[in-house]
Amino acid sequence: MDQSVAIQETLEKEENCITAVQCDILFDKITESRLLGLVESAKEHAIFIYTHRRMAITADDVSLEDIIPVSLDFAIVEVSSPEELAVVGADTRVRVSYRDEELELRLPFGSNSRLFLSEVNRAWSEVCKSPIQKPKFEWINKYTNAIRGHGVVKQTIAPLGIRNIKLNQHLETEKSLDKKGDLERENGSNSGTQKSRVYSSVESRGIPNRDDRDDLVRSSSHTPSNKAQILTMPQFGLRDNLIRCELLKNEELYTYLENYSFFLGTYNVNGQTPKESLRPWLSCTLDPPDIYCVGFQELDLSKEAFFFNDTPKELEWMQAVSEALHPDAKYALVKLVRLVGIMLIFYVKKEHAEFISDVEAETVGTGIMGRMGNKGAVAIRFRFHHSDICVVNSHLAAHIEEYERRNQDYKDICSRLQFRQLDPTQPPFTIMKHNVVLWIGDLNYRISDLDVDDVKELISKKDFETLHSFDQLKRQIDKEAVFDGFVEGEIHFQPTYKYDTGSDMWDTSEKCRVPAWCDRILWKGKNIKQKHYQSHMALKTSDHKPVSSVLVIGIKRINGETYKKTFEEIVRNIDKMENECIPSVTLSKREFDFKDVKFMQHQAETLSLFNDGQVPCQFEFIQKPNESTYCKPWLTANPPKGFIAQGGSVDIELEVFVNCSTAPELNLGKQQIEEILVLHLERGKDYFISVTGNYLPSCYGTSIHLLCQLREPIQDMPQETLRELAEMSGDENAENSEKPLDIPKELWMMVDHLFRNAVKQEDIFQQPGLRSELAEIMDCLDTGIPDSLPGSNHSVAEALLLFLDALPEPVVPYCFYQQCLESCSSASQCERVISMLPQCHQNVFNYLAAFLRELLKNSASNRLDVNILATTFASLLLRSPTKQDFAEKRKTREFFQHFLTQGSS
Amino acid sequence: MAKQYDVLFRLLLLGDSGVGKTCLLCRFTDNEFHPSHISTIGVDFKMKTLVIDGIKVRIQIWDTAGQERYQTITKQYYRRAQGIFLVYDITSERSFQHIMKWASDVDEYAPDKVQKILVGNKSDEVDKRQVATEQGIKLAEAYGMDFFETSAFTNHNITETFTRLAEQVLAANKKDLDLLWMSINDEFNLAALEEEEGLCDSVTGDQRKGCWC
Repeated sequence: MDQSVAIQETLEKEENCITAVQCDILFDKITESRLLGLVESAKEHAIFIYTHRRMAITADDVSLEDIIPVSLDFAIVEVSSPEELAVVGADTRVRVSYRDEELELRLPFGSNSRLFLSEVNRAWSEVCKSPIQKPKFEWINKYTNAIRGHGVVKQTIAPLGIRNIKLNQHLETEKSLDKKGDLERENGSNSGTQKSRVYSSVESRGIPNRDDRDDLVRSSSHTPSNKAQILTMPQFGLRDNLIRCELLKNEELYTYLENYSFFLGTYNVNGQTPKESLRPWLSCTLDPPDIYCVGFQELDLSKEAFFFNDTPKELEWMQAVSEALHPDAKYALVKLVRLVGIMLIFYVKKEHAEFISDVEAETVGTGIMGRMGNKGAVAIRFRFHHSDICVVNSHLAAHIEEYERRNQDYKDICSRLQFRQLDPTQPPFTIMKHNVVLWIGDLNYRISDLDVDDVKELISKKDFETLHSFDQLKRQIDKEAVFDGFVEGEIHFQPTYKYDTGSDMWDTSEKCRVPAWCDRILWKGKNIKQKHYQSHMALKTSDHKPVSSVLVIGIKRINGETYKKTFEEIVRNIDKMENECIPSVTLSKREFDFKDVKFMQHQAETLSLFNDGQVPCQFEFIQKPNESTYCKPWLTANPPKGFIAQGGSVDIELEVFVNCSTAPELNLGKQQIEEILVLHLERGKDYFISVTGNYLPSCYGTSIHLLCQLREPIQDMPQETLRELAEMSGDENAENSEKPLDIPKELWMMVDHLFRNAVKQEDIFQQPGLRSELAEIMDCLDTGIPDSLPGSNHSVAEALLLFLDALPEPVVPYCFYQQCLESCSSASQCERVISMLPQCHQNVFNYLAAFLRELLKNSASNRLDVNILATTFASLLLRSPTKQDFAEKRKTREFFQHFLTQGSS
Repeated sequence: MAKQYDVLFRLLLLGDSGVGKTCLLCRFTDNEFHPSHISTIGVDFKMKTLVIDGIKVRIQIWDTAGQERYQTITKQYYRRAQGIFLVYDITSERSFQHIMKWASDVDEYAPDKVQKILVGNKSDEVDKRQVATEQGIKLAEAYGMDFFETSAFTNHNITETFTRLAEQVLAANKKDLDLLWMSINDEFNLAALEEEEGLCDSVTGDQRKGCWC
């Protein structure tokens, strides 16, 4: 009975009771029954807790006791132990907590509880998905006012609406089930033990308070945010599913059939208590069957049984069955399931018990209002070795003319009866999804179109074949209206209904019912043979006779050896697939050698990446240890990262450019054009790409001091010599065979060139030169001592500026910079500072100043003035070791101006 | 629910260029052998799933460039490995001599707990043998390592070698794994464990990020 109907009646129109479940609340030592409803209103969910009459049908039967909003403060933890559930269906225990309160609940075993929990989970994960939209739960207020003060949750839930949403509350689902099948035992044998360990650690804590539990969660590696993800996302990767699929596909490779005998019995006991031994029925076979599935109908016809689903007869009949099982074997009771008077008991021979797993039981009522349990079905599913088996015991609608109703009941049972899956990501298991379906029960199909005397006549002649042709079930099956795909053995026994209780006499009551084969056994599946199908006249307790059948069923078993091989093969293939899916590219070139790299001359080569892998890939040049960038400053890769579609390609420009900051070390040979780039593919391999080049040293980026020692062009000097000279440069008194030059010859060449050709040049130092001419000038300076320089005056002027800019130590060395600033207002002070410079720097400074003063003499033609030159040259001669601010710039200008106006003053 | 695999380990193949590291890997993961030698220039890896004591162990095997010029870079990969194969070529005395250097690099750069195994590859090339099996055994003993002579060509001792190292890594990390199993119920890997202990960078799962430190 769906009790959400009763709850719904208590709610407002826009509120909806999604699902309800009856449960026990565990107080200190007492348990009390409650009805829980998951109620939704405007996408907010809350669990309503009701006290109730035993079977709630209308609003009058329930009374609201408390409400737990499903907010971020809400948590639910399942605490069932896996062992219990794996063999016999057990109750599900959960702890529900909201803020500081906690409740322990026991939910009855079955899909209803599963459904309830999964709906709660879903509601909660929705809350977690959008934590910004705080649920307000205003709609609950009207209820909480009414119940305040006597809530079931001891400290009543704090006033609603004012809440601090804590984001670190989690919902933990501790998965409570572990497949015990052979499959899993083969390859996951210790996952079970691991889990039980986890459980015991949780269980032993008793009911931890909120903080404890948070600690427990924190100790795992998950952050709060991905904890929520774990819930909403399937916990098994694509990989696991692939393995499972492949195993299933290749089942024939590693399974073989072995026959087992199944004893099926059905007995409508007409509300009687057991009065006689059931041995004639249950022990009618010579050999003990491997499995017993014994079904009863009309176990208890009392109102109590109907309304409260509670009857002492359950135990009585179960005992009667247990005592009557075949004496030559020992049996274990695996499962008993009952819906009012419909009961199914499942026993297995002791030695097979360990091969039974995944046992689930479900019930469906199709009686009064299409829901009640006076009619309907109970079912047990289980896995035996590697076969999935479902046994259904049904009691379908009565009365001769109601055969269509019976067909409908069958269909309702098939569609409504669903077993939960162990894996919550899988859809629920229906009856027909099983390898073998065994359907027994009082199906209630009658014999029609024959009057009672004709029926009895045929029976007395034992002409069951003719009689069978009037059987409604046979006719309905032939018409494919019901039990599609099911098989029933030939009937060689007289109808099992209706007898005068206590006798073998046909019904002598006023109704004088036509005898009928109400009680039947059918099956569906491959490799099934019926060994017998009979009724048992000796039993006289009921107005029905019990029926039994022994089916020999070929059960799939796993060949450990071939299974292992198949499994390994699958894993190998998947590994292979995975390896093939590792991103991969081919590189057009692994080694790049740049010829003749020159100062300020850009060179580029193209590296083509082709995605030859089976997936798109992301590439990036990654840093090496102790380096802040992925490559040396003179090298860039453009783009340094990107995305390549499968089969696509990308061209990367590897660009070499030596500028003022990288030139000094390269000039001295302290560094080489040598680099290994690491090209990393996201989730994939790393490629090393080596870049080399032949750098041609330049006077650009070489110190004044060193240049003063060079009488030959720099490129004519062995690198060794350059380095030696540079190392000596710190030592002013170092012995030198030759007297150093007063100023670098390169500087002299440029200034002299300008002095001779450009003093009257309009806009000199104002107009830029040509890049190509600049390169020529540099080459000239670095390779020879020509009489004149190539290029325009403007290019030579720019070459001069660039030369000053590239000096590793400026003309006014860094260490004098501060002094210059301080003395900028006084001409004499400025001069004193300059007099303190190292000799070669002083020479250069004075030489340049003199040249500039010459230029100013021609300001009429070249349109220069003190201001322009001071601005241009101060910034090159007086460079700050750090960033210059505006005031400093002004001071450097002021400083240098003294030297430009010297002559005229 | 049974887990299909439970642990992820990183194993690293080290040794001179040309000793057959890539071939060992190809033979082990794809059961293929390519006789022509193409130098690995970079760091490649492949995945393989093993079942050890019922635990599904996914191993990520890194194949590194053996050439000397790349060694400063490849050393940086050591610290992320839980197990290391030191591979030499039995037909090359030189590659055997270099094992000492490789081993000392491992001591310097790899985590303390790293498991090592000595591998003498190309055992099929009997005629060209320059390093006697005894020499290998002796060296392995000196280092306290296990030793295998393998042939990627004939598939000799390949699975044994990889499985052995994986077993050693599993055993060496057993305690941590047990602890981790106590606290989480999910798939995890050692890399994640290291993260928690602050031993590792922000590497998550089997993804490597573009960062070395």
